[in-house]
This record gives sequence, structure tokens and C-alpha cells, in this order.
Amino acid sequence: MSALLSGTGLVRGYGSTPALRGVDLAIDEGEIVAVTGPSGCGKSTLLHCLAGILRLDAGTVTYREQDIGLWSEAARSRLRRTDFGVLFQFGQLVPELTAVENVALPLLLAGTGRREARQGALGWLDRLGVADLAEQRPGAMSGGQQQRCATARALVTEPRVLFADEPTGALDVLTGEQVLGEIVGVARERGMAVVLVTHETSVAAYADREIALRDGVLDPTGLGLGVTR
Amino acid sequence: MSTAHVLLGLLSGGPRHGYDLKRAHDERLPRAKPLAFGQVYATLGRLERDGFVAEAGQERDGGPDRTSYTITDEGRRHLDTWLSAIEPPAPYVTSELFSKVVVALLAADAGRARDFLVAQRAAHMSRMRELTTAKSAPGASVGDVVAADYSIGHLEADLRWLQTTLARVADLQKEVTS
Amino acid sequence: MRPSTLARLAVAGNRTDVLRTVLTALSAMLATIAMLCAATVLSIRGYASRYTVQLLVEPGLRPGVAATLVLVALPVLALAGQCIRLGAPARDRRLAAIRLAGATPGEAVLIATAETAVASLLGSVLALIAYLVARALPAAHDQHTLPSDVLPPAPVLVFLVLLVPVLAALIGALLMRRVIVTPLGVVRRVRERGPRPWPGLLIIVGLPMFAVPWRTDDVDWARNVAYVLIVGGTLLTMAGVVLGVGWISHTAGRLMRRFGRGPAMLLAAQRLITDPWNGSRTMAALLVAVIAGAVALAYKALLATQFRYFDVFNQMMGSPNGEGMGAGAEPDFYFGAIRLVMVAVGLSAAVAAAGLLVALAESIVARRRTYASLTATGVPRRTLSASILWQTLTPIVPALLLALAAGDTLVRLIQSSFTIEGTVPRVLRVPVPWADLGLLGGGALLAVLLAVGVGLLVLRSSTDLEELRIG
Ligand SMILES: Nc1ncnc2c1ncn2[C@@H]1O[C@H](COP(=O)(O)OP(=O)(O)OP(=O)(O)O)[C@@H](O)[C@H]1O
Ligand SMILES: [Mg+2]
Repeated sequence: MSALLSGTGLVRGYGSTPALRGVDLAIDEGEIVAVTGPSGCGKSTLLHCLAGILRLDAGTVTYREQDIGLWSEAARSRLRRTDFGVLFQFGQLVPELTAVENVALPLLLAGTGRREARQGALGWLDRLGVADLAEQRPGAMSGGQQQRCATARALVTEPRVLFADEPTGALDVLTGEQVLGEIVGVARERGMAVVLVTHETSVAAYADREIALRDGVLDPTGLGLGVTR
Repeated sequence: MSTAHVLLGLLSGGPRHGYDLKRAHDERLPRAKPLAFGQVYATLGRLERDGFVAEAGQERDGGPDRTSYTITDEGRRHLDTWLSAIEPPAPYVTSELFSKVVVALLAADAGRARDFLVAQRAAHMSRMRELTTAKSAPGASVGDVVAADYSIGHLEADLRWLQTTLARVADLQKEVTS
Repeated sequence: MRPSTLARLAVAGNRTDVLRTVLTALSAMLATIAMLCAATVLSIRGYASRYTVQLLVEPGLRPGVAATLVLVALPVLALAGQCIRLGAPARDRRLAAIRLAGATPGEAVLIATAETAVASLLGSVLALIAYLVARALPAAHDQHTLPSDVLPPAPVLVFLVLLVPVLAALIGALLMRRVIVTPLGVVRRVRERGPRPWPGLLIIVGLPMFAVPWRTDDVDWARNVAYVLIVGGTLLTMAGVVLGVGWISHTAGRLMRRFGRGPAMLLAAQRLITDPWNGSRTMAALLVAVIAGAVALAYKALLATQFRYFDVFNQMMGSPNGEGMGAGAEPDFYFGAIRLVMVAVGLSAAVAAAGLLVALAESIVARRRTYASLTATGVPRRTLSASILWQTLTPIVPALLLALAAGDTLVRLIQSSFTIEGTVPRVLRVPVPWADLGLLGGGALLAVLLAVGVGLLVLRSSTDLEELRIG
């Protein structure tokens, strides 16, 4: 069986700055993969490329045996409200919408009815311990509370792949554990694959496998040592 | 860490006999080395000699003799002093890991030291992964989680050290072999 | 996406967004009213002695009246275009976040333009209603001061009502294309190359286009072609000036960075370089109004020269006063009409100045976080104020000069001199109305200074360190 999501020869630069210089990787269904490496090594860029948010300069990203690089921008966007969940370092909640509206957004965009979407959103806010903030706007929440809302939004569509960029960066240890616990729980329950970008070893330990990047390429001496479960 | 203090702590809830104490110890400190029966009785004997515990009675329902013990006032005071005492932060680096790196540099070269660090990091990482899996498993008790956290914290410190040392091996070699 | 979702997302916004909606509707309404009036004037047929207003009676004068009305509508239209970008940074951020949640580029455009289009449609429908009500008022009927007895054909009415909303939606969609490309939006915007001076080409094309119908008397132009060329040429010239501010700002910023002294100039220079379009956004309506004003003033100079030409000519021919060659009415009548135009231009300039004030205040509020953190790190407010002054005035002064020159040139292309045939041919040149143009430019500059002054008051409250936390 081929991998759920794979990247081959991924190359991406910003102007003259190369950020990814040929990365290969494959992720199976239900697998949690940590991407680690020093700051600026291209972790976020890799994540964005895999999630179909950034276009590649070269290489292919294959999801369920389809080259999503060939898809239109609209088709790749639709993937984000059905199959992919994204959870970033910052700047992903809509400041003008309340927490529950933010979480319900992908459902609403996909055409779910308002009440049903709201119900689903409230459930996830509750699981992440921020149900009491449902009617608050992001501006009135702490960084960690926003991060938990964002997690709820990433999971609300029950995605098949979750892309998480430093999901616990703004959280204290215990809250971080709760968020990671939910993510891992969903991954185990429903076979969701997770790409987990982090620079904390204790977070990387939640993964089944670790991939290390250095200057835009995989680090073979592998501080990323692929020890599988 | 002293087994004696753990036993005193367990007895402060009420009298118990030896077998009971062993079971409670292993249950409360899940990731510690399990206590041997011999060690339980030897420790109880020492505590009784020092007047921290006293025999509370004999139970004899068909099985072997079971002597139960209770904590004395003296024992409570002793336990209290121990609980209030601050542990000295580890003053000496006695780590096997550190010694190995230095010896590898002395006996071989930076490559050897680096190989060791990389392999050791992998081992640490997979142990940490195991502990994390155990603690985030659905049925994990709070005791399990707290015990795993303790080990994870220490492993994390080691890992951080392994990683930074990996970056500093070359410099360290210059210093060691100069 | 369900309509209810679209509605919710389109109106999700803060106070700035509400302000934008209201201003968009208002300017759409004013522009549509002016255009409806122009269409009505053009619908009058033949010599219409039934009206008491002389300007409406003569067929030869009515296109001028209509052109004036359109001239007034243009700054207001520019204002509508300017409103679309009000509060844009916050909206871009919101749209990027919505995109990240899985909205397609098309849906993002829909969400953004739905609001603009609906607001301006509301405005233009209100305009139509106001227009129809005003026509139906009995007073208008009885006295025949206004052409309430003619109605432009229905397709024209529909076209005019839809024109502003469609234009607004198109411009809005065009301005948003950069945000649509990436859901990472503001978080990761790669710095692009500075603007090029290609808007100059618009001016270079626009001026001759405008000139062609005036210069070729012998060709029997279809009236509509002539209108299209004149209006198109004017529009291109105006667009060229407004868009040219991008290049002017960028160049001024680069020069200032190179030769400037002190932190205020450095801040202003970098601001001009990183966002050269800010000037175009805030000044568009004002610049268009200044061009319109320059056109009117230059036309006044042209008329004055023409009357002088008639006088000289008649004197030479020995015709007594009142006979011989001349215009259809007393010169005072024409100058009165020009004064009317100037009042209209002044009105739209006032609207533009109000727009400028809103835009400037808004651009400061949008950057309050940066200003607040600069203050927090010890940059004195005086330096910030100075930098805002620099960054506003440096591009506006050359832009105003360009606008005045463009307006004057347009009229100069109609006719720049009169030759009196005779034994010794005498050439009367149309003078450049320096004093008038200077007054107009000075007035515009004053309006900008006033707006900056008010903006600086806004800055004062924006640099409260409280603002650091607001997202
Ligand atoms: N929008 C951009 N424009 C220019 N260069 C960029 C841009 N985004 C990222 N880069 C560069 O690309 C490289 C990789 O960036 P990336 O954000 O992927 O790093 P990262 O591994 O996620 O770092 P961190 O751990 O600090 O988040 C960096 O050198 C960065 O400077
Ligand atoms: Mg990153």
C-alpha cells in the first residue's frame, strides 16, 4: 500500500532565499510524524507545501495517489475543509468572529447548516476546555486560549491529516499536554495522520517517528532517527 | 531516596503488615524499582529498633504469621523533619553519559563521540516516546502520569544536553586533546 | 457556501468596516445622482424654450452642462473607489484567515465584493429613488426650471444604477488579488518590486484621446464617439495621475532614504517604499477633484481669451457693441456658468477632503500597533508625528503639481491660441491661469494639512500602550 501523503524532491524558495532544497518523505494513515530542526530550517515551509498552501518550485506532493500540485487553488482550498486540518503558530483565527463561529467556519464553508455547525463547534471547544469562551472574540483571549480554539477548528472537520505547526508554542506544560492529548487521541481513534512541527523534544515524543531538517534538507545523521513504534 | 521514609509515609495512614506495605509501595511508585520482601522486613526491623514504628498486633487467619506495624510519635516527628528538609541540588556531575563522551574523545576521536551521542539520543528518544505513549494512553492513572512525567523530565534534560553537546563536540575535542 | 454564511462573513467586521459600508453607499449615491442628472440633460431634444434656465434651453450648451455634472461625479466615484480600501489591512487579514479555513479564492472574492457591491447598490438605488421623487414633486413640474418632463430611456437608467456597484465590485476584486493568492496572507507577504512609472503612459494616451475630437473639425464625428473619446481621455488622464502617485511615493521614499536626515525621515521613507500605494488610496478623490478644478479654471481662461478675441475682432471691423461676431449670450452668463462649475468642483473637493480625512485617520489607526510599540520602545511622539507629515506631504506635493498640469493641458488641447487675421496677424495666447491654479493647489494642500492635523490627534490616542494588545 502506498503512503497516504508523500512529498518527493520538494523545493521551495522565497525570492533568492532557498527554504526547502529537495525533501522526500512519506506519511501513512494514522501515523504521527514529528518534524524537528533549528529555527529557520524550513519546517513551516515544508508543512505549508505539504498542506497545499504554498506552491512548490519543484517536486510533487501526492495525497491518496493524486498529485495535488496539479489541482487548482480552489480544489486545494476545499481539501482544507474536508481532508486537511491546519493548526499554525499564529494568525489563523478570524479576529472579527467569535470563538464558536471561528470553529464552525470550515463546516459553514462546506455548506453545513448553521445550527449543526455550531453544535459541532461547541463540542470541540468543550473537549479542549475553552467552552466558556465560545462567545468571545480572539482579541479578548490569551494566546493559549486562542491556540486551543484553533486546535478545535483544525479538528472539527474530522480531517484525515492534521498539519500542526508548534501547536503548543504558546501553552504551559499542562495545557499543552491536554491539547496534544486530544490530537493524539483523535489520531488513534480515527486513524488521522499528523505532521507535527516542533522544536521541543517532549512534544516530538508524542510522534511515532521523527524527521529532522537542517538548512532545507533532511538531516541524515538524523537527529531525526527513524525509530518506529 | 530512602525506602524507610516511604514506609513511614504509608504507615501514617494506619497500621499495615509487611506484605501490604510492599503492595502499596509498588502501586504508589509505579516506575520505581519494586521492593523485595526481604528489604521490607529489614527496613521495618531498623525502624523498630530506632523507635519509629511499633508492632501493632498479630493476625493469624489460616496463613502464615502476619505482624502489623504502626507509626510512633517519634516516627511522625522523624518523617516531618525529612519532609521539611530541602534536598541539595546535585552538586557533582556523575553522569555516565558525560564520562563516555570525554573518554571517547581521549581514546578515539570526535566521530566516535558523535556516534555515541547520536545513538544515545535515539535510545533516549525512544524511551521517551514509550513513556509518553504510556502516559497518554486512555486508562492511565494519575500515578502513572506523574511517574512518567518525572522520568520524561529527566530524559528531556539529558536529551537537551545530548543535542547541545553534539554541536560542541569539535570544540570539546580541541580542549580535551590540547 | 450557503447564502446565510456569505451574509454572516460579509458583514463580519469592526467599526471601520461599518464606516466603509456607509461611505461606499453614500458616495455611490452622490455619483449616481450626478450621472442621472447628466443623462436627463442629454435627453432633452431640440431648442427647449420651455425652461427658464438658459443653460438648458440651447442644445449647444447642454453637453457642457452634462459634462460638468459628470466632472462632479468623477471625484465622488474616486471617493467610492477609495472607500473600498478603507480598513483593508484588517479585512485582508480576515479574508486570509477565512481562506486558511478552507474558503476558495472565488469565495473570498465573493465575501469581500458582496459587501462592496451591496453597499453601492443600496446607494445607487437610493439615488434612483431620490431622483424619481424629486421629479415627481409638483414644484418641479409647474415652473419648468428643471427638466422634470424628460426621462432618460429605461435601459440608460438601469445602466447608470448598476454602473457604480459593478465598477466598485470589479475594482474591489482587482485590488484583492494579492490576498487571494495566499491564505498565509499578511503573515507572509513577500516584498515585491516597487511600482514602475507606467501610469505615465495612461496620461500620454489619455491626453491625445481627449484632444482628437476638438482638433478634427472636418471629420463628421458621430456624437457618441466624440463623447467616448473625451470622457475616456479624461478618465485615463485622471487614472494616470492617481496611479502615478504609487511611483512618485516610491521614488520619493528612495530619495529620502538616501539623502534624508534623522529618524522621522527614515521612518517616512521606509513607509513610502513598503506601501507606495497608500498615497493613491488616500488621495485619489482629492486629486481627481483638483484635476476637475484645473479643467474648469483653464476653461475659464480659454473663454476669457475668446471674448477678448471677439472684442478685438469687432473693434477692428468697426462693429458697434452688441453686433458682429460673438457668443450667444453675454460673457457674464458664461462666467456665471463657470462659477457654477467651480462651486460644483468645490463641493466635490470638500467631499474628497472628507474622504482624505477618513482615509488618513484610518491608515493611522490601522498601524496603531506599530506606532504603539514604537512609542513603547522610546520613540518620541514628535518623531512619529513628523514622520507622518513627511510621508503624507512628500508624495502629495508633486502629485498636486501633476494634477494641475494635467487639468490645464487637457483644456489647452482644445485650443491654446486665437489668431486674428488681418494685415498684421495677431495671435492671442490663452494664458496659464497661474493665480487661480495656485489658489486651487494651495487650497488642496491646506485640506491635506488639516487632515494630517486631525490624523495626528488620532495618533495621540493610538499610541496608548493599551493598543499593543488589540489584534
Ligand atoms: N515570506 C518569506 N519571505 C522570505 N523568506 C522567508 C519567508 N518565509 C520564510 N522565509 C525564510 O525561509 C526559511 C525557512 O523558514 P521557515 O518559516 O520554514 O522556518 P521554520 O523552520 O519554520 O523556523 P521556526 O522554527 O523559527 O518557525 C528561513 O530562512 C526564512 O528566513
Ligand atoms: Mg516555523
